[in-house]
Amino acid sequence: MPEKSDVVLEISKVYKSFEDLEVLKGISMEVRRGEVVAVIGPSGGGKSTLLRCATTLEKVDAGKIAIGGDVLCEDGQYCDKKLEKQIRSKFGLVFQNFNLFPHFSVRRNITEALIHVHKMSKEEADKVCNGLLKKMDLMQKANDYPCNLSGGQQQRVSIARALATNPEIIFFDEPTSALDPELTKGVLNVIKELAKEKMTMVIVTHEMSFARDVADRIIFMDGGVIVEEGPAYELVTNPKQERTKAFLAGY
Amino acid sequence: MGAIQSTLIQLLQGFKFTFGIFFFTLIFSIPLGLLVSKGRMSKIKIVSLIFQLYISILRGTPLMLQLLLVYFGPYYIFGINLGSIQIGPFNYRFIATIVAFSLNYAAYFAEIFRGGIQSMSKGQYEAATVLGFSKMQTYFKIILPQVVKRVLPSVSNEIITLVKDTSLAQVLSVTEMFTKASAAASAQVSVIPFIVAGAFYYVTNLIIEQILNRVEKSMSYYS
Repeated sequence: MPEKSDVVLEISKVYKSFEDLEVLKGISMEVRRGEVVAVIGPSGGGKSTLLRCATTLEKVDAGKIAIGGDVLCEDGQYCDKKLEKQIRSKFGLVFQNFNLFPHFSVRRNITEALIHVHKMSKEEADKVCNGLLKKMDLMQKANDYPCNLSGGQQQRVSIARALATNPEIIFFDEPTSALDPELTKGVLNVIKELAKEKMTMVIVTHEMSFARDVADRIIFMDGGVIVEEGPAYELVTNPKQERTKAFLAGY
Repeated sequence: MGAIQSTLIQLLQGFKFTFGIFFFTLIFSIPLGLLVSKGRMSKIKIVSLIFQLYISILRGTPLMLQLLLVYFGPYYIFGINLGSIQIGPFNYRFIATIVAFSLNYAAYFAEIFRGGIQSMSKGQYEAATVLGFSKMQTYFKIILPQVVKRVLPSVSNEIITLVKDTSLAQVLSVTEMFTKASAAASAQVSVIPFIVAGAFYYVTNLIIEQILNRVEKSMSYYS
């Protein structure tokens, strides 16, 4: 058993319905520090909803979610606003369609939250920003606006924005689904680099070979439940469940 | 020559009030419009309905009628005599004009702002939320600046209409430019004062158009 403090994300028996439609039917999972977990499965299987619940964008009906040891909700009861805010500073989220702020420059997209939420000085925030832009190979784009960047560049900016606050875990919601194959590569390489640096990540993705190569563990979700989970390579090459086999046969 | 000169002087005197109505109406109706649009979008049904009714009535009845109601209403309906009110250089006629114009224009602005706010993608709110911005920060830093850009063309329309609508204050005998032009025209038995007043309105709007174009251009750095 891993040390409790090593568990960055704990999700336990989470249920979520939208009106009459039950989307999550008792999901439990754990992500340990430094671990990369890929979540795969057909559309409508609940992957995105699970991610949205973990990132406070949706409220669960029942179950427990804890991030970095702070309990966001237990038995469907949510913590107070102050703790919620603290929890939000512990994770980053990268959206499928980037959701950069179009009226801010690349630099300001990255530094705005540092300065106005985390109360960093402008100089400090700029330093953090420069480091991230270098890493993302976007230094020369610092003063450009998102509309003048390619989709791949925009997604790299949004990864930089998520990394800026130095989160304990980053969630990716189909980070390459809005990109063409060529741009996809650049974004996946950035995520690979992060995996090498032992960044804790949960990635919802349809890129099966990427999941196999980068993730430590894969979770296959369908119909609101976790159908199968296991070491990435093993699950992709030798799935146990019929449903998993059928899904992977499509790739 | 003397007639034209005195016409010009009279119209310029009236223009002070025309500009006053224009200026104060904008100052009051834009924030009020934002509030009304917020109320209109309220999740509490009754609140939303009240603001819907407000917008419906103020857009659905003549501004001239609203002017008369605001001016005469307090006395004839409630028996309150406000006629002697004076705020600085502004008498009750002028104040009633500003109140009626602001209430009326707020209804139009509210619907324009609602369109702008509702056109914002949910993703902008979500990105701001997970980054830890408060509701106020999200609204003033992320949403409002983008809404301003989106609504500017429609707001420009209203601003230009407002310049011309100021002439309706004539019904309350506010000595704005149109009232002055009417008086000069009947005194001189001539249409020249109307033509000169028309030129004044047009040039004013020409200048406003240039300013608004510049503002729009200053926000064209992103799409």
